[in-house]
Amino acid sequence: MIETTAAPFPTIRVRPWLGRLAIAGSLIATFMALVWAPTDAVQGDVYRIIYVHVPLAWLAYLAFFVVFLASLGWLWTKRPWFDALAVASAEVGVLFTGMFIVAGSIWAKPTWGVWWTWDPRLVTTAVMFMMYVGYLLLRSLSTDFSRRATRAAVLGVIAVIDIPIVHLSVLWMNSLHQLPTVLRAGGSPALDASMGMTLGICVIAFTLVYFAFLAERMSIELDRQRRMFEARA
Amino acid sequence: MGARRVLLIAVLAAAVLIGFVAVQNLASSAVYYLTPTEARDRHVATGTAARLGGQVETGSLRYDPQTRDLRFVLTDGTTRVSVIGTGAPPSLLREGAGAVVEGTFASDGTFRATQVIAKHDEQYAPPSPGATPSHQTP
Repeated sequence: MIETTAAPFPTIRVRPWLGRLAIAGSLIATFMALVWAPTDAVQGDVYRIIYVHVPLAWLAYLAFFVVFLASLGWLWTKRPWFDALAVASAEVGVLFTGMFIVAGSIWAKPTWGVWWTWDPRLVTTAVMFMMYVGYLLLRSLSTDFSRRATRAAVLGVIAVIDIPIVHLSVLWMNSLHQLPTVLRAGGSPALDASMGMTLGICVIAFTLVYFAFLAERMSIELDRQRRMFEARA
Repeated sequence: MGARRVLLIAVLAAAVLIGFVAVQNLASSAVYYLTPTEARDRHVATGTAARLGGQVETGSLRYDPQTRDLRFVLTDGTTRVSVIGTGAPPSLLREGAGAVVEGTFASDGTFRATQVIAKHDEQYAPPSPGATPSHQTP
C-alpha cells in the first residue's frame, strides 16, 4: 500500500529555463545543420537529415535506458517517483523513435531509393518501437497503481536489451544501413570535423529538448499521483 | 485472475520477441541479402526471389534512358553477377559503391532485378575544393 504522497518535481524554478535552453539550443542547432555545416561529397545536402536522425536515435536510446533505471528504481524502492520517471521517459522515447524512423525514411528515399526495407537495423528498430508502445499500452491494463507500475517496470527492464541489439545489428548481419559512423570500436568518427561539431551541438540541443519534455511530463504525472493519493486519504 | 494471465502472457511474449530478435541477429541463417558467392554456394534456384548485395563493378554500369535498360555487374570480389534491370537507378548508384538488388536469377545466370537499391558507406566529408557532390554528376 503506497503511503507517501509524491513531492512536486523539484524544478519549479528549473523547468522554464529548461524550455528556454531547449528552444535556444534548437535554433543554434538548426542554423548549424542547415547553413554552417558543409555539404557532403557523396550525398550532397540531403545528408543534413543526419543532424535530426542521429541525435533523435541516441536520445531515444537514452530515454529507454532511463526507463530501465526507473523501472529498477520502482521495483527496488516502490517509490512512485520512479514510476513517474519511467512513464515520462517512455513517452518521450516513443515519440523520438517514431520521429527518427520517419526521418530515416525521408533520408532513405533519395539515397537508397526506397522508403523502407526489412534490413536488420530497420527491423530491430521497428521492434524496439513496438515494444515501448506495448509498454505504454500495458500500463492501461490496470487501474491499480502499484500493479500497473510493477507490470510496466518488468517490461521496462526486459525491453532495454533491444537497444544494443539495434545498434549492433549492422555489425552482426549483412545490412543495407551502413555501419556506425560515430559509435564504433577502433577508429575515430568517420565524419569531417565541422560535421562532427555540428552533430555534437545537435545532440546537446536534442538532449535539452528531451529533458524539457521529461520534466514537463513528470510534473504532470507527479501532480496526478498527488491528487490520487490525496483522494484516497 | 484474467488480467493477471494477460499480463503474464504479455511479458512472456515480449521476452520471447526479444529472444527471437537476438537469436535471429546472431544466426547467419537469417539474412537480409546474400553476397554473390553465398548465392552461388547455396545454389539459389532460377525464379526464386532473392536479394543480393555487393559492389558495382567499375566499368560495368550502363543505363540507356531511351530503352530504360539498366545493366551492371554486382561483385563481392570473388563472384560476379550480371544484373539486368529496368528504369533509372537511384542517383547514388555508382561504380565501386555498394548496391542491393532484389529479383530472381534467370536461366542464363543473369540476375533480373525488380528493385535496385544504392548502398552508401558510413563516411561523411565535404567535397574536395572545386568538386561537385557525386550524386549530382550524371
